[in-house]
Amino acid sequence: MKDSLTIVIGGIQGEGIVSTGVDLIKILSRLGYYGFGSRRFSSRIKGGNTNIQVTISTRKITAVEDKIDIILALDKDTIACYREELKEDGIILYDNLLTIEETENAEALPMTEIAKRKGSPIMKTTAALAFLGKVLDIPSEILGNFLDNRFGHKGEKIQSDNMAVLEEALIYEEGIHERIRKSLASPMKKISRPVMIGNEAIALGALMAGCRFMAAYPITPASEIMEFLGAVFPKYGGSMLQVEDEIAAINMAMGAGYAGVRSMTATSGPGISLMTEGIGMAGMAEIPVVIVDCQRVGPSTGMPTKHEQSDLFTLYYGGHGDYPAIILTPSTVEECFEDTGRAFNLAEKYQCPVILVSDLMLSLSPQTIDPLDYEKIKIDRGSLLKEKDLESIVDGKYKRFTLTEEGISPRSIPGMKNGIHHVTNVEHTENGLPTEDSEIRKQMMEKRFRKMELLKKENTLKVIENDSDFLFIAIGSTFGVLKEAVEASGNKVDFGSIRMLKPLPAEELSCTFEKYKKIIVIENNFSQQLTAILKEKIGKSDKIEAFTKYDGTPFTITEIIEKIGGMEA
Amino acid sequence: MNPVKKYSNNIQPNWCPGCGHFSILRGIQVAADQLRIPNEQLVVASGIGCSGRLSGYMHSYSFHGIHGRILPFAQGVKLANKDLAVIAVGGDGDGFAIGTNHTLHAMRRNLNITYIVLNNQVYGLTKGHTSPLSEIGFVTKSTPAGAADLPLKPGIISLAAGVTYLAQSFSGDQDQMIDLIIKGIQHQGFSFINVFSPCITFNKTNTYQWYRENLKDIEEDKDYDVNNLQQAMSKLIETDGLCKGLIYQNTHVENPSQHTIKETSLAQQELNIPEEEFQYLMKQFQ
Repeated sequence: MKDSLTIVIGGIQGEGIVSTGVDLIKILSRLGYYGFGSRRFSSRIKGGNTNIQVTISTRKITAVEDKIDIILALDKDTIACYREELKEDGIILYDNLLTIEETENAEALPMTEIAKRKGSPIMKTTAALAFLGKVLDIPSEILGNFLDNRFGHKGEKIQSDNMAVLEEALIYEEGIHERIRKSLASPMKKISRPVMIGNEAIALGALMAGCRFMAAYPITPASEIMEFLGAVFPKYGGSMLQVEDEIAAINMAMGAGYAGVRSMTATSGPGISLMTEGIGMAGMAEIPVVIVDCQRVGPSTGMPTKHEQSDLFTLYYGGHGDYPAIILTPSTVEECFEDTGRAFNLAEKYQCPVILVSDLMLSLSPQTIDPLDYEKIKIDRGSLLKEKDLESIVDGKYKRFTLTEEGISPRSIPGMKNGIHHVTNVEHTENGLPTEDSEIRKQMMEKRFRKMELLKKENTLKVIENDSDFLFIAIGSTFGVLKEAVEASGNKVDFGSIRMLKPLPAEELSCTFEKYKKIIVIENNFSQQLTAILKEKIGKSDKIEAFTKYDGTPFTITEIIEKIGGMEA
Repeated sequence: MNPVKKYSNNIQPNWCPGCGHFSILRGIQVAADQLRIPNEQLVVASGIGCSGRLSGYMHSYSFHGIHGRILPFAQGVKLANKDLAVIAVGGDGDGFAIGTNHTLHAMRRNLNITYIVLNNQVYGLTKGHTSPLSEIGFVTKSTPAGAADLPLKPGIISLAAGVTYLAQSFSGDQDQMIDLIIKGIQHQGFSFINVFSPCITFNKTNTYQWYRENLKDIEEDKDYDVNNLQQAMSKLIETDGLCKGLIYQNTHVENPSQHTIKETSLAQQELNIPEEEFQYLMKQFQ
């Protein structure tokens, strides 16, 4: 009996490999287990190896484990790629149509054969799932129910064929069960839990936060957000548009934001580059808008399907000129949901662009989560005026950019009587009219940045203390790997994450950092971007050091464990 | 009230005396008045350049955005609140250089907004540089040997992009311009009005006089059918684009994107989703 098992499912891209991995996580999550999947795929539609590594555990997990218990191979590459990572007692299950070197731990199974006989070859993943079900002792009715639902909307024929494939695979050779069995310990609680990727949590968070408009241009690894909202918006009175480019996306989202709708766009690094001028306008013209950046390898097209966290400089330092912006950095799926909700409140409260930063692994890794908390998102529209608030104002005299102590000016939206005003993205007066007056320029600049002072007081650092002199910090999906590594190494160091990068709560961080001998910042980029920002804002340069990886793959638990070990020695 | 006063915020425009843009500003104000659009229901959005200043002289909700991107912004406004009358304005650089992409896609998206291009065939605010609508040989500071690239043909590419309302007008013929703006606003779909608006400072070729001599008035052609795409295309080729009047209107297009505009404006939607509904959504992930 094991507390966790790691399985790689691999085959040719386009054959439903990733879906099979996600199905496995979903099925086991119904039984009370936690799963985490890590996808490896390439920038093509069909052909080429793709695989998903899945760790199933009796406890909540935030990353996949490195060593593998089961390889399920629908192509030869999967075996070649992962044989080295197989544990000593690990097994390989492979499609018997593949000719591989026979070893004691390898079991040929008629996956394609059964699929062909009972349905069509593409259903070999259903056969694969059935065999995994045998390995893991998943009750056959659970598998049956799941697949019945899964294929229900695809038509009767596809549904019944898949069920036939499943049944045939389940009755295949009684004795095999004993040979390949890998039993998991019972889950702590036999309750069904949701399985989500970060992008789904972001999209759901946006919906719950009252976002009703999204304009976007498809891009890996952000498209799931527009796909989700495009599917659900009609029911809730919202609109999602796929537009001609990211420049149109940000400007359209701002148009909707200006007109009073909570609106957003989502993209990855290349789109951020195109949106940068627009984001500056949102800062200058004080338009609420939420931008999601699901980072991938850059610069330019980089490695579109690989993981990196290298947009931090461009997001933090932004486009030309000085303007306020807020950057949130969730590091779990649950935080993706909550922080997206928060992003829309902050955007309207502070009337500025809010950028929510994810990364490929956080955006795309399917994982079992504890149910999201409805109460975590409460809509607060900030200083948005109502028409009756404007009754006493003489038509034409409303000051959209009135100078206030906090820097926040109550906002009217088109359609409101007595709230008429001009907005320009050139420097402007309190009335919103263009000006080149030095004194007004200075006042307006200070007003826009004054807004951020309030935010700097918010607590954004989360630290899990283990009474150590070392603090490890990671943002995005790296935090999940760090958490697993620290726990696996016996909780020997403190670790944490920063949930809001800009404005950076420098005082709070400085105070916390004071206690430590060393702060190790783990990040997926070459130029130590997060480390550099922290050093610039906090000082303590001799204390803060970077641990980077920039080969397009996320950190493994082992890599971080080794780093932790090195620190102690 | 005088229509100009009703829709003017009393700021003196910073255009050169004699600039064609004054006439277009007045044209928009008179058209809004004749259509009785309440000031607070009108959004005038503009891009960058001399033309971009126009929104800043309106007594309405008005927005002055970054260069070349006003159409996406204006569409965002309309998508957010369908009850607003939305007019986007820009120059020939805004609409046919940096923003060409958005112009074409706005046409095929066919949202119910009006786009007026203040076309002077030159970049005025940068102090005289060539435009994609300048004629070959047009000498400017950036084209000392004369413009070398073919001018774009705004009418023909608009028809190719599926525009459902295409008109051309001239600052020197305000009555026709007002009529075309009114019809454009009334048109259920994207209306594009290309207004020849002379730059008296930097364009010594395409002057008021030149346009008077060279623009053919389509309304004089009694057999012209504005619903005939082929005829519209022929007229534009025949006149090398130098014609004014309503060139084309298609009222039969089932707007493919109109379904994205809700009955209730997005800005007025109920935002809170009940907990039972949230639990239903969560269920999809199990």
